[in-house]
Amino acid sequence: MTGLLDMDISSVTHVIVPALATSLPTLPMAGINWHSVLFLLFAGLACGFAVGVVAADNVVRMALYLVFSLGSTAGLFFLAGAEFLGAMQLMIYVGGTLVLLVFGVMLTAQAPFVSIKPSSSDRTLAAVAGASLLALLLTAAFSVDAWMAPGVGEVPAPSATPLGMALIGVRVDTPPAGSPNGGHAGYMLPFEIVSVHLLVVLVGAAYLARAKRRRTPRAIDAVASAMPVKSAVAATAAVAVPERTAVAAPGRPTGGAKSALVGGGR
Amino acid sequence: MDLESLLPTLLGLAWLLPLASFTVILFAGPRLGNHGKGAAGVATAAIVGSFVLSLFAFISWVAQHPVRAVAHEDHGGAHAAADPTHGSGDHASTAHSTSHATAAGHEPGHDTGHGEAGHAGSPVHYSGDWYTLYEGGRLKLSIGWYVDALTVLMFVMITFIATCIHVYASGYMHDELHDITDHEVHLADGSHLHRPGRFHRFFQALSLFCFSMLGIVIAGNLAMVFIFWELVGICSWFLIGFYYERKSASNAANKAFIVNRIGDFGMLIGLMALWGALGTLHFADSTGPDGHARPGLFSLIRPPVAGNAQWVPDGMVKFAAADKVGAVLRSHADDPRAGVEQVEAKVEDWRDEGYGRWLLLVAGLGIFCGCIGKSAQFPLFVWLPDAMEGPTPVSALVHSATMVAAGVYLVGRFYPVLTPDALLVIAYVGAITLFIAATIALVANDIKRVLAYSTVSQLGYMMLALGVGGWLAGLFHLVTHAFFKSLLFLCSGSVIHACHTNDMRKMGGLSKVMPWTSGTMLVGCLAIIGAGIPFLDIGLSGYYSKDSILAQALLFARENPSHSILFYAVAGGAMLTAFYMFRLWFMTFAGQPRDHHVHEHAHESPPVMVYPLVALSILAVVAGWTLPGGFGIANMIEQARPAGTGGTELGGLLFSAFTVPAEHASHAHDIHVTASLTAFATAATGVLLAALMYVWGIIPPAMVASAVKPLYTLLANRWYFDEIYRFLFVLPVLGISRLVSGTDKGIIDRFIEGLAWGAKQVAGFDAWLDRTLIDGLVNGTASATYSAGLELKKLQTGQLRQYVMFIALGTVAIFVLAGLLFRSSFAG
Amino acid sequence: MMSFSLAPSILLPGIPMPASLGMIPLFAANPFTEPVGVIHYLIVGAVLFTAGIACMTLKRNALGILMGIELVLNGANINFVAFSSSYLRAEGAPTLGLDGQVVALFVILLAAAEAAVALAITLNFYNNHATVDVDRADDLKG
Repeated sequence: MTGLLDMDISSVTHVIVPALATSLPTLPMAGINWHSVLFLLFAGLACGFAVGVVAADNVVRMALYLVFSLGSTAGLFFLAGAEFLGAMQLMIYVGGTLVLLVFGVMLTAQAPFVSIKPSSSDRTLAAVAGASLLALLLTAAFSVDAWMAPGVGEVPAPSATPLGMALIGVRVDTPPAGSPNGGHAGYMLPFEIVSVHLLVVLVGAAYLARAKRRRTPRAIDAVASAMPVKSAVAATAAVAVPERTAVAAPGRPTGGAKSALVGGGR
Repeated sequence: MDLESLLPTLLGLAWLLPLASFTVILFAGPRLGNHGKGAAGVATAAIVGSFVLSLFAFISWVAQHPVRAVAHEDHGGAHAAADPTHGSGDHASTAHSTSHATAAGHEPGHDTGHGEAGHAGSPVHYSGDWYTLYEGGRLKLSIGWYVDALTVLMFVMITFIATCIHVYASGYMHDELHDITDHEVHLADGSHLHRPGRFHRFFQALSLFCFSMLGIVIAGNLAMVFIFWELVGICSWFLIGFYYERKSASNAANKAFIVNRIGDFGMLIGLMALWGALGTLHFADSTGPDGHARPGLFSLIRPPVAGNAQWVPDGMVKFAAADKVGAVLRSHADDPRAGVEQVEAKVEDWRDEGYGRWLLLVAGLGIFCGCIGKSAQFPLFVWLPDAMEGPTPVSALVHSATMVAAGVYLVGRFYPVLTPDALLVIAYVGAITLFIAATIALVANDIKRVLAYSTVSQLGYMMLALGVGGWLAGLFHLVTHAFFKSLLFLCSGSVIHACHTNDMRKMGGLSKVMPWTSGTMLVGCLAIIGAGIPFLDIGLSGYYSKDSILAQALLFARENPSHSILFYAVAGGAMLTAFYMFRLWFMTFAGQPRDHHVHEHAHESPPVMVYPLVALSILAVVAGWTLPGGFGIANMIEQARPAGTGGTELGGLLFSAFTVPAEHASHAHDIHVTASLTAFATAATGVLLAALMYVWGIIPPAMVASAVKPLYTLLANRWYFDEIYRFLFVLPVLGISRLVSGTDKGIIDRFIEGLAWGAKQVAGFDAWLDRTLIDGLVNGTASATYSAGLELKKLQTGQLRQYVMFIALGTVAIFVLAGLLFRSSFAG
Repeated sequence: MMSFSLAPSILLPGIPMPASLGMIPLFAANPFTEPVGVIHYLIVGAVLFTAGIACMTLKRNALGILMGIELVLNGANINFVAFSSSYLRAEGAPTLGLDGQVVALFVILLAAAEAAVALAITLNFYNNHATVDVDRADDLKG
């Protein structure tokens, strides 16, 4: 009996593969545009983690989600043909800015502040605002026919060299049609400005964040040094709201604080 | 230098010197000398200068036109014959002045019966214009002169009397050199007024008065006369009201001025009639701007071509026959020139029909109305007695010799224009005045009142004289009266100065204490009654003038028996005059003193006051004398007799036919003798009666008074004229004024106040609107803004997340809106 | 022009749309086979942007707000890159080209600078107030 046992490799090759070969073309896999698949992947990750940033209450988790979101964004950049930019995104943004942000998170992640839950009314309002904004943006995006056409353009040339040259002031790429000045303008000036800008920021941030000699001890030090850690929470909460009449009651630091957005002033 | 240019210069300067003095004292009065004492010096110097100049002019005149006695022959009848040699003496020389020097005095030894006929031409006169204010069409307003013998004589008389009075007043008014307590003024708190002296003011007004009076005399046209007429009135007002804080004095000044103005109203009517009909107000002929001769009033009304007989001039005929003229012109509407010629041809007929006679009468009577007011004739004499409130020098100068004489002078000057009927009216007015005033003077006790009424009475004499045809008599009496009346007033001033009272009942026996005053006053009294020896024809000045008046009145009465009352009025008036004048003298100077207190304090006046008395008394004596050879005032006045007025005139428009006899006929022997005897008899009777009553006491005055008590009361109350006028005129006017002021206050003022109230209400409403609505709006805006700000402040919560929310929502909203509005894409 | 006829159906993202205008059927056809266009990137950018705004609005932690800022800037960057890419456009269609990438680069740089400064401020705020709750930072309350 040649039944299932009679299956041999030839039957695999002669039966299964032709069967697959005949059915696979009907599967979407045959004409898969891997570019689009990857796009979907990265886009999904980016959007998902971005939403995750919004939804998360824990600031540390928010930081992590942000890292992932921005990393996915870098992937999107690569897919769009801006590989230099994608690399820069990963290096500067994810590797620099977000690390900085994480540092900040770590510095300030005291227990009461790790997750501060906004009130439900706040959330509703933010949802409404976000929704309306998204609607507007999408409407605007869909309104232009030129953007709706599918992309079948050529793979762009690597952009690192032209970009670098452009930053010095020499345009070596073909400028887009209809650019002013024939598209020959360089970016020397913005480059320099940004350089100075970064210097200034460096100095400013260093100055702002310097260790200051204080006549009176910092609120945070007084509290932290005088009291044990556990009660420091209550103490800081109490200190933080000395003159305020309501809102965060001691012992309920994560309690439902009144919505600052809806409640207005104190 | 010929008289034609010399006389205007001299007399013009003499006229203007007092004005210069006035100006100097006006601006520098208080500074002249100690307390203004130098003002008297300035004024006196000016008037003395005027006198000297007038004297010089007088001498020049007399040298050129010797004053001779004019032979009187019976030359009855109107002079119709035109004398070719005297015909039209008009040779227009320069553009400024025309002189008509005709024959009057140019025939030496000419002693024929051409006496009056020699004056058939116009008398010697010089006329011209100094300054033409306006000349256009028919009207020529100018400042000019008309100089004849009368003018020169009047100048001398006025300046001489004024000089005497200036000297007198510098002594009389010495009280005004320091502060004065006026006991006749009671202030509200019962005390007497204490005021600074006004010495310089007196002489300032006196100078202005002299200037104005001389202006009247020299005036060459009626308009100028009118101007200075009014000016004299104002000066009189100033001077009467010199002590103006006294109610009586200020009332008297107002009374004088107002009553004068009433007369001036008539004068304006006369002026209008003359100018409207004739187109000129000049006395003498002048030259128009086009070189043609412009006849003056005298030539128009007594034209030489008609032998200077009076006729209604063409202008008046046409004016009166206006409808006939219009009819003729209309019938010749197609040919105006022929129409005008036809009118001219018909004028003669119309004149004969009598058109225009009434107009001429009205013109004359109108001018005379002014004279009634100025010369205090009936019925406008009531102001003169009250004018005695002024200082005595004022009474002497203004209200006896000069201003009141201006009316008589104007009648004399205007004589050619006056129709016989107008003259008769004048005569009757004069007669009434004469009589009334004389009777009132009989019982007056105030020494100055007696003299005032005497003045009124004497002015009535003059008017009467002029009215019955005695042109020379009237003006002669004017001159002599000026001398002795001013003398009398100055003497009375001396007495008042010594006795500090005007009341004659407190005087008596002053002749021993004040010999000079007493003597000179006696001279004055004798002069006024016309004392003299009839048969020798020697007397004081008043003798001659009174005689001539009586003679002319007698002649008139003889010619017109129905009007013989005029003669009796004159004669009776003479007796009354004599009586009251000597009553005055006897009561003041003779007999026993009635008030010893007064008698003790009486003293003779200082020499500065006595010298003028003496000077005037001399003149009061000699003014009427005629030197052998003919030089005398009467003959000089005769030189100025207007053309054609020497003959008889026939009247009959207003009255039944009467004759105005020629004046020279009054020199007939029988008339002259009758008149002299009548004068003497009446005067003697009057003096005797006065002596009986007041010197010898045979007839006690009180007994006489009680015997005719009603009559006495009437006279003592001055015929109740003031009361009658008050009832007839003053009270109605006051009633009307009350009515009008009541209307004004009750209706008009109420209406205005109502308007004001209405305006206030509107204003209040507006204010409410403004406050409530507008301010409310503004304030409301402000508070709304503030509230909005306060509300909007709540947006600033400081909440960062909220801000971000707003940014997001806002952006969405903006874009949605923009999309709705613009419907365009934002990208490509 | 704004195709408002699509508007109501756009309000709920993610729902497959009919190819009403003959345009690219976004998700109607097989997403795995159809090439990607600019619009897809724009959608992603929009989502990121909106998420960033929502994060800024919602988070009470100051650092959460900073993260929101980063998301916003990234969303913008995605848009820039999308516009600059010639791969996503039709043949020969005009793009932003290099300019878009340069701008995105600068945005990254500036985001870094801004994050540094913002962090400094936040740390200062934390030191002074012992809290990073931005709701406590209402000193500018009017």
